[in-house]
Amino acid sequence: MVIKDQESAELLEQDLESVPAVELHEGDALPESLWKVRWRLGWAAFKKNWKLFAENKIGLIGLFLILLFALMALAFPVFRAIGPWQNDAVYDPIIGYDAVVQELEVVPTEADVVDPATQINAANAQLWCFGSLPGDTCEIPRAPAPPNSDHWLGTDPLGRDVASQLTYSTRAAFFLGAVAAIVTVVVATTVGSMAAFYGGWLDNFLMRLADLVLLMPLIPILIVVSGMFTVTMPMLGIMIGILSGFGGTAIVLKSQALSVKVKPFIDAARVSGGSNVHLILKHVIPNVLPLSFLYMMFTVTEAVSLEATLSFFGLIEAPMTWGIMLSTAQTQGYLRSGLEFWWLLIPAGLAVSLLAAGFFFAGRAMDEVINPRLRAQ
Amino acid sequence: MLKFIAKRLAQMAFLFFLFLSIVFFLLQAQPGDISSQFINPTIPAEVQQQILGRLGLDGSIWNQWWNYVSNFFTGNLGVSFSQFPEPVIDVIGERIPRTLFLFTFATLLSYIMGFTLGKRVAWKRGGFNEYSVTIGGVLLYTVFYPWFGILMILLFASTLGWFPISGFLTPEFWRNAPFTGNQVFGQLLLSVAIAGIIVVLGLIVAHRAQERSTTRLVRRGSYILSVLFLAGFWFLRSEMRPYAWDILHHTILPVVTLALVAFAGTMLLTRSSMLETLKEDYILTARAKGVPDSDIRDRHAARNALLPVVTSFILGLAFIIGGGVVTETIFSWPGMGALLLNATVIEDVPLATGALGFIGILALMAHLLVDVLYNVLDPRVRVQAGR
Amino acid sequence: MTDTRLDTAEGSSGTPVSNGEVPILEVNNLVMNYEMKSGMVSAVEGVSFKVPRGKSLGLVGESGCGKTSVALTLMQLTASNARILDGEIKLDGENLLDLSDEEMRKRRWNDVSMVFQGAMNSWNPVYTVGEQIRETMDIHWDPKPTSAQARAKIEELFNLVGINPEMIDRYPHEFSGGMKQRAVIAMALACDPKLIIADEPTTALDVIVQEQILEELRKIQDELGMSIIYISHDIAVIAEITNLIGVMYAGKIVELGPTADIFANPRHPYAWLILSSTPSVTGPRRVLAPLEGEPPNLLDPPSGCRFHPRCPFATQKCVDEEPPLADIGPGHAVACWHHEQVPVTLAKVEA
Repeated sequence: MVIKDQESAELLEQDLESVPAVELHEGDALPESLWKVRWRLGWAAFKKNWKLFAENKIGLIGLFLILLFALMALAFPVFRAIGPWQNDAVYDPIIGYDAVVQELEVVPTEADVVDPATQINAANAQLWCFGSLPGDTCEIPRAPAPPNSDHWLGTDPLGRDVASQLTYSTRAAFFLGAVAAIVTVVVATTVGSMAAFYGGWLDNFLMRLADLVLLMPLIPILIVVSGMFTVTMPMLGIMIGILSGFGGTAIVLKSQALSVKVKPFIDAARVSGGSNVHLILKHVIPNVLPLSFLYMMFTVTEAVSLEATLSFFGLIEAPMTWGIMLSTAQTQGYLRSGLEFWWLLIPAGLAVSLLAAGFFFAGRAMDEVINPRLRAQ
Repeated sequence: MLKFIAKRLAQMAFLFFLFLSIVFFLLQAQPGDISSQFINPTIPAEVQQQILGRLGLDGSIWNQWWNYVSNFFTGNLGVSFSQFPEPVIDVIGERIPRTLFLFTFATLLSYIMGFTLGKRVAWKRGGFNEYSVTIGGVLLYTVFYPWFGILMILLFASTLGWFPISGFLTPEFWRNAPFTGNQVFGQLLLSVAIAGIIVVLGLIVAHRAQERSTTRLVRRGSYILSVLFLAGFWFLRSEMRPYAWDILHHTILPVVTLALVAFAGTMLLTRSSMLETLKEDYILTARAKGVPDSDIRDRHAARNALLPVVTSFILGLAFIIGGGVVTETIFSWPGMGALLLNATVIEDVPLATGALGFIGILALMAHLLVDVLYNVLDPRVRVQAGR
Repeated sequence: MTDTRLDTAEGSSGTPVSNGEVPILEVNNLVMNYEMKSGMVSAVEGVSFKVPRGKSLGLVGESGCGKTSVALTLMQLTASNARILDGEIKLDGENLLDLSDEEMRKRRWNDVSMVFQGAMNSWNPVYTVGEQIRETMDIHWDPKPTSAQARAKIEELFNLVGINPEMIDRYPHEFSGGMKQRAVIAMALACDPKLIIADEPTTALDVIVQEQILEELRKIQDELGMSIIYISHDIAVIAEITNLIGVMYAGKIVELGPTADIFANPRHPYAWLILSSTPSVTGPRRVLAPLEGEPPNLLDPPSGCRFHPRCPFATQKCVDEEPPLADIGPGHAVACWHHEQVPVTLAKVEA
């Protein structure tokens, strides 16, 4: 159990008071099982932290956005399995195709086309309806098609349902974010702890490395790397994780580990024979974890943005992501004409921005909960 | 101070060495070895051998590594595949000034915006303004940048028509121009650089002055002098002027877009740094002394709040450089960032890695600059002898 | 140890019998509360005192009794949630509460300056000490001083407080703690104010430096004839350099009078308890009467006399009615219903 400050200590006292005082003799079992006590203390601490977190509207907005996207991610398999997109190949985000058909009236020449939304001249009509004459109706498949009752967000230039693409990509984004975040935390905690505990040349070297990583702009590096190798989503997650993990996060976690290292209970543990590894695993990591969790938030923000940028430039090997959605629209020129094809432009870009913003807001709010106490130490 | 700079330069050189080594081993990690990637496989074999010899990439792996890295330091970056037989260093050399121009202005703009907004928002606490500026700033910071760039183009270039949609200059306009784009750009760069030097020199002299009023005079004088210089410079080049304006016109939107996305980081940090600083006792003392509010905010609080902002600037630089690459691509602005991306896409390995190396140099140089700046700003760091 | 510069001809109302001068500071019924989410905190409740020209006043009391709040209110430097609900603060006859923000700003430092607790942090780390002192002159002197004039003045001030004038161009982190405190005093004098407020000027310093600082302050009082308000919880320090003492408890002045009188003859139970908590090295041995309990919560202060929960002499009257600050002798006022009992008890104990 980590006692972080005065308030937690008081909470602990309160809770301990509710445990009946009992005389213990050697060999006795505890009156209340240890895990129950731990659970109760943990829950009390959580409730208190939540109150602090919720005071800040920004954190709530962030959390709301994250939940919104989580629901969206769930929407995909649910809709595919039991909902409106059930078993309909049309709605497959990658290979689906639905030609939304538009009925146009055939008119003799170009000059007679008064409303291009409902009329087409005879020459062009031959492309789709060979042999049609002025006065006939010709059905023309439109892709991309604007939103309609079948496709709530319309279709993309290849006829695929935009809404299903959007929700499918949400899963990809969360997955990437999770991978990057976990790898970052693992790497940063390891690097930070090792630097703190072993000191000397290892510390020096790791910190120099961290300086380097901090300085280097990630995008150019990732661009070149994805040019040299075929980068898939998991690979990207790991790369982002490693690069972020060695950087600023490692430095912060190292100083946190250092502050734990000088605490008396470490000496006690050492005296009773604990090795460095044991100390790191058993004592440093639990103390450092809240801070790590905080940085995970920012890593997700970064990962989502990075991935979207890279796939926008076509450098990522993935079936479907928001970046790819925009990339498809861009390379086929549909984004140049302003808001005419808004359903290709707005949803994907907005999704990337809002998910990144959501994690950022939540991260900042968490920062205010976790950090001031660390500073007070 | 000089000793400090020298020491830092040495550290930078070492870090760069590390960086290049990592790039080298990445190249090696691919199937085949570096010589097969670094030399265009489609050119005739004899030429390949020639180049290989010149680059020293034909020995053992350690040999190759050493040659690769030392080559870079001597400016021998290999020969471009796509622009054969142009050496990479020439291709990059052409682009660097432009990218420097873009980065510098975007950085300055984003920093000024961020710092001023952050300072003011922290001073007048609470209220709708603080909330909306903070949220607005963060939204700009986390927005999907290529998408944001496209939106900016759609709004300001396509719809409103204030700026051109893309490119470095308007080709039709330049069809029979007596100058090349590079020439004019070079002149632009020169004039701005000299104006900048005037201001910096002026600030240094002003700092040394004893009287408060002399300081202000010299500072204002240097601003005015630099503006006069710019005006005079371009007044004399009446023929070149419309072309220079064309280039400038193409640069404004990319710079502003990049600055908009980057400023929020500085703003948020300035704000929290200011809030921390305002709690300090010397602020209360300043109030007690009867110092006017604006002076408390600017001369006392902001000056101290500046320090952590400058430090974090290092992180911001990486962001701007990365953002610069994307900006150049979206706006089809032919700088080094666009070069990097294009070279990667067409698999011109020497060009891509050369560009990457230069971006690394850029980042390190900027870091050095910020370090020196911090040293100047914080007397507590400065005074230790022999630093 | 005790102050020998008594002036028993003065009353606590301050105006000397022989001299019709306006007191340098006259505070009448000052009421200031802090507005918190949970309610109004009664920090300063009906405080009144007068400081005659050239004399010094000490405000003594526990932490949280309101002495710093009084000081901040005097200079109008309170936090944004402070509300001045009543009273007057007359500096040399002029009511500061009537002034606009801008007018008050001009008075600050020029007419009344302050030496803050913990001078280490009073200095902005990025400017030299000289620059920061110069700043006050640039703001308040009319006409603005030239570099030479400013420097001459600062040198004079540094000599007065005993700092090497070479240090003028040094940064605060190059000064020791004691030097910083002395430099703050020098800065406080830069605009020749009428009154200086010194809030715990020696608390953060070791005893030797403390003595030096007190010596400086004494010198300033004597040589420059300056009025000083000392705020401290350390009565020993207050005793050394003040002419008048105001004992504060829970936002109110409970006893006010000449220093020697209060030390010899404390009439308020609280004052008496504080003084008896300090054993005297040279005086007779006595039983130490401890002060039990804690200062009250000012969000919801006790009814009647605020000291009644901790007072050994408290009766029902003390709970029901608040005692006014009433004169009980030449220049000596007490706010207690049972003040006559106090010296009696002291005598009993000594016997």
